[in-house]
Amino acid sequence: MIEIAGLSVVLPPATRALDGVDLTVGPGEFVVVLGRSGSGKTTLLRAINRLVEPTAGTVRVAGRAVTGARPVELRAIRRTIGMIFQQFNLVRRATALENVLAGRLGYAPHGPSLLGRFPAADRRLARECLVRVGLADLAERRADTLSGGEQQRVAIARALAQSPAVILADEPTASLDPHLAGSIMDILKGINAERGLTLVVSQHQLETALAYASRIVGLRRGRVVFDGPPSSVTPGAVATIYGDGEPA
Amino acid sequence: MRRAPAVVFVAAVGLAWLAWDTGADPVRLARGLPWILDFVRRMVPPDLRVLPAALAGALTTAEIALLGTAVAAGLALPLGFASARNVAPPAVFYPARAGLNFFRSVDTLVYALVFVAAVGLGPFPGVLAVVAYTTTTLAKLYSEAIEGIDPGPVDAVTATGATRLQVLRFGVLPQVLPLFLSYVLYRLETNIRAATVLGFVGAGGIGFYLQTYLRTIDYPAAATVLLVTVAMVMVVDAVSSRLRDRLV
Repeated sequence: MIEIAGLSVVLPPATRALDGVDLTVGPGEFVVVLGRSGSGKTTLLRAINRLVEPTAGTVRVAGRAVTGARPVELRAIRRTIGMIFQQFNLVRRATALENVLAGRLGYAPHGPSLLGRFPAADRRLARECLVRVGLADLAERRADTLSGGEQQRVAIARALAQSPAVILADEPTASLDPHLAGSIMDILKGINAERGLTLVVSQHQLETALAYASRIVGLRRGRVVFDGPPSSVTPGAVATIYGDGEPA
Repeated sequence: MRRAPAVVFVAAVGLAWLAWDTGADPVRLARGLPWILDFVRRMVPPDLRVLPAALAGALTTAEIALLGTAVAAGLALPLGFASARNVAPPAVFYPARAGLNFFRSVDTLVYALVFVAAVGLGPFPGVLAVVAYTTTTLAKLYSEAIEGIDPGPVDAVTATGATRLQVLRFGVLPQVLPLFLSYVLYRLETNIRAATVLGFVGAGGIGFYLQTYLRTIDYPAAATVLLVTVAMVMVVDAVSSRLRDRLV
């Protein structure tokens, strides 16, 4: 589903955030990318849909080349990739439903969408996505009146509204209380199981990663230093991923 | 801090030179005070027979400011986006920013002189003058608001596969719209004040009456016009600032 080869990203002025990453993710996998902060997790996820421009290497999603894609093609690929962010990244003044509808922008007729008009089918789908994350009652509430956990669920609904093949989640629980973190990961796991969606989730929290992932990828200084099922994560592997210090 | 005495000395010398070069002379001011008092005394009591004319002039002035500000608020939108560093490509940003700075350096009254020469006397050149000056100042304020937005929602909307216009509409506009409205109201307040003198150069409104009565040494009538001007400005300020408070 995702094929990454020789991916390097140099962030201005001269930070080598990713250094020759090779990674292939199959359909339906729940991959958790582990690593310290600064290990390149965020950059890896953002390079997959080219929110960050790769310096070298190739990325393919569902067989289509993301790297080198022209703007129209890139947008068509992006709409099949949902993305969830650490800071939720909702439009604070818009309602939950309006935020979820943004997930349909890649599909909705362009002109009417600019006037805030979406086809009835899109509105129905957006509401269904809010139901899926348990927020049906809060559809008309402004995003900035929702709690952190609720905001992240709206963000998941927005990603689901894209009818994606892949969901990228960048530290989706790092801004939340621990008990909320579990509920967010449960929703992601549920989506993964019931729709066969491919998930790539970055985490710095080892226990959460082991509890939910079908596969762990360890990043350190922009390189893949571990790749295997959770059961193969030994203390030695942990030391390799996190360095000599204790897991962060 | 060690250089503070030198800075103070240079500033003092500079100010002294400015005072000398502009002929600033406290003695002359003191000698002129009786004339100012005489001026005020001759204005009392105000001649209320010209009140209808003054009110009609005030209404025209308010209309000039209102129409000019409204048109400028719209015209400034594309210019504001074009001159915001974080949303406009460099090829658009630099010319737009340079153009704004050039046209913004000319005041409303100067524009009024130009437009009176171009389209003749009356309120219309006044409207054009307000449009010309306000468009550039609002575009500058808009662009600064756009440059101060949270990039998170922009990333999120971009990641859905939205076009550049959709990103502006759904990621940027909701963040800046309340600020834009607040700036427009603020410009309306300033424009009402600026428009009161447009009549001096034949561009319509209450300034025409003030200038006429002053030139014909009809100070009681001029007093009425001044009072109406002050009242109008105060009312617009009060209403506008109350509206602005509700936006933030």
